[in-house]
Amino acid sequence: MTRSYFTRSLSVAALMLGATALSPPAVAQDANQVFAQNTNSANSAANQSRQRPVDPGVRAGVPGAGGPLPGLGQNELNFFNAAKNVFNEVETVPQGLGPRFNLDSCGGCHIQPAAGGSSPTTNPQVANATVDGAKNAVPAFVTANGPIREARFVRNPDGTPDGGVHDLFVITGRADAPGCNIKQPDFAAAIAARNIIFRIPTPVFGTGLVEAVSDTGLQTALTSNAHQKSSLGISGVFNRSGNDGTITRFGWKAQNKSLLIFAGEAYNVEMGVTNDAFPNERETDPSCQFNNLPESTTNLVNTTNSGSPAADFSQDIINFAAFMRMLAPPTPASSTTPIVQSPTSSSVQVASASATSVLPSAAGSPTASTSGTSATSAASVTRGQQVFANVGCQGCHVVNQTTGKTAMTGQSNVTFQPLSDFALHSMGTGLADGVSQGNANGDQFRSAPLWGVGQRVFFLHDGRTNDLVAAIEQHASRGSEANEVIENFNMLNVTDQQALVNYLRSL
Amino acid sequence: MRRFLLLGLAIGLLGWTAWSYGSVSLSHGAATSAMPNPEDGAVENGRYANRYFYLSYPLPPGWTAGLAGPDPSDTGYYVLSSLVPKGEHDGTILIAAQDRFFAANPDKDLVATASDLREAMARIDGMTIDHEPSETTIAGHLIRRVDFSGVGLYRGTYVTEIRCHFVSFNLTARSPERLAELARTLDDLSDAGKDSAASVPVCIKDYAVAENLLRRVEPVPVGPKFTSIPVRIIIDGNGNVTHTHVIHATSEQRQSIEDALRQWTFKPPRINGKAVEVETGLVFRFTSAPSL
Repeated sequence: MTRSYFTRSLSVAALMLGATALSPPAVAQDANQVFAQNTNSANSAANQSRQRPVDPGVRAGVPGAGGPLPGLGQNELNFFNAAKNVFNEVETVPQGLGPRFNLDSCGGCHIQPAAGGSSPTTNPQVANATVDGAKNAVPAFVTANGPIREARFVRNPDGTPDGGVHDLFVITGRADAPGCNIKQPDFAAAIAARNIIFRIPTPVFGTGLVEAVSDTGLQTALTSNAHQKSSLGISGVFNRSGNDGTITRFGWKAQNKSLLIFAGEAYNVEMGVTNDAFPNERETDPSCQFNNLPESTTNLVNTTNSGSPAADFSQDIINFAAFMRMLAPPTPASSTTPIVQSPTSSSVQVASASATSVLPSAAGSPTASTSGTSATSAASVTRGQQVFANVGCQGCHVVNQTTGKTAMTGQSNVTFQPLSDFALHSMGTGLADGVSQGNANGDQFRSAPLWGVGQRVFFLHDGRTNDLVAAIEQHASRGSEANEVIENFNMLNVTDQQALVNYLRSL
Repeated sequence: MRRFLLLGLAIGLLGWTAWSYGSVSLSHGAATSAMPNPEDGAVENGRYANRYFYLSYPLPPGWTAGLAGPDPSDTGYYVLSSLVPKGEHDGTILIAAQDRFFAANPDKDLVATASDLREAMARIDGMTIDHEPSETTIAGHLIRRVDFSGVGLYRGTYVTEIRCHFVSFNLTARSPERLAELARTLDDLSDAGKDSAASVPVCIKDYAVAENLLRRVEPVPVGPKFTSIPVRIIIDGNGNVTHTHVIHATSEQRQSIEDALRQWTFKPPRINGKAVEVETGLVFRFTSAPSL
């Protein structure tokens, strides 16, 4: 994509972070398609001449995340600390890694700005491709300064829906996988066929609180602002478990019921480690089977003695779930002090749902905003919060949720600020990925929780941009519930638009 | 134990529910000869026309259709049209509708829906109510209006009821003067195209219930489970289903429901002894047994 093309694309309408919505034929677009659609959208050519707000970049300072929930008991804290170590463990083939995988640890993907977060500035997948003698090619859509990505194919060769994860790497060639001889998927062909979409890691901060909200609580929050939403073209619907009909809430399409399921699925799908929730290998080539299954099981003898017997006896996915469940929400910047952005942060356009065969390099093509150290005034942040509510962002990014009764010490009836209704919303052709998960169709996504967005590097489900303003604008396209909100955003004066961006970067 | 599990499985596979609603109201609707649906309206020749609601609205000069909105929701909410200027966007008009049969928290009437919108907006930090809810009449439609503003955006919502839907015109502008200009364009709203000689379906919330049904065929449960599927049907004076509108469903669910409803028959609808055409709503919810 040329710089001028991207600049033109930036003229598009939009607001609200986090994704949603369908149109299977409109999937697997390359960036040119995406931006072409948006160029035809809410912003006319006349609007393109207007001054545009600037994303100040990743908020600097200590990570306001990564620690345990306040109020937990000592045994819970011990469990949290031990589980955090398990979360960050690097796995090898004897420990269950592969035969296919995207990375070799949970903490490798969920790291920005702290353990439990999202994709860091430097993508560890590039180096991971050749660990221990492996000779994996790095797919074109994975770059050193791009987002960590998993790839999904939209359709099977016979045209039926696929939607499943096709791992980037194989253990072939590794010293700990002698004789394994499977190959990586043909990503180049998938790119050429426009049959591939991407996802980046979702942050898991505060997810224990999310898990503790009752279905009634979520439904109440969804309907509490129904009149505002109906004046803006917004509705929303929950994804639901096919087993018991209750609301599912984790993952980009809210497809996972619980943190345990989320952990178990990711352990098998992203790392190839079978476990009690997902006990079978996805890749069954006989030459690549090195372990008894499941590879992660309950420990019958405590050989770790971490100080938390619960952690020591539990299999890995129990530890992962425990870590996430007790992981505190991100701490927003103080509204009374200036917010300083990282001197190294810069706005970089990242390859969208296609690859370098149709796109210029994803690596660091600079765009409109490159920020050095800057300070955002507290007044602007406060104004931005008001703008957020007035233009309608909070229609989907509902500020408050409240937990119900939970077994976690001190966490019952806690009101917290995820800035999400955890419902699915149609996000239009511009964001549609054509993948159905549970009741979510190809253009529906869960309202991404905006807490912690101030320290996020990459945005939207596929990490297509690290420019927060572009992420806002990408919310508008044909069929999106966010179109009117983005129209409102575009009609603001640039000072108020900037205030909104500053507010988001304060989160 | 296994016997109970199998019984539960069987019940679950058959488990779908349909229900309908209370109260009766007469519609403003018109003939159903071509059987349009609410989402079928479109902008053509500088005018938004909707044959289901019998609305015709000439766009402000220099305006056109904006981005299309989402498909109808599982609560019967429609984005009917988004209208924008061809040049710089100094205002927008969103035409929307909420099916009264399927709203999550239904308002009891037009007054309540305008009042609730007013209260919702008043709770937003920085939002000012500029025009308290009031009543007016445009093109024979009773309309409730409320205006509000914040962060430099001036907005007005005009809502009326047609065929058991709250239909709203949501105006947004960069200045109060521009908002007033847009509001004046609503005076040109009309029901052009309405055939006064055609029959008008009577809108009844709770008609598709057991005491009115003579024959009922269950749809085959298909597609995602535990989703609400709102459906509107029109029943003729003989009790036959003449039109089915599956508002929000997958294609396979839509087909299954349409196939079943085609076989339903009702007692011939009568009001004061006279045969009438009835429009009503029902919700399907496919479920399955737990994976035991």
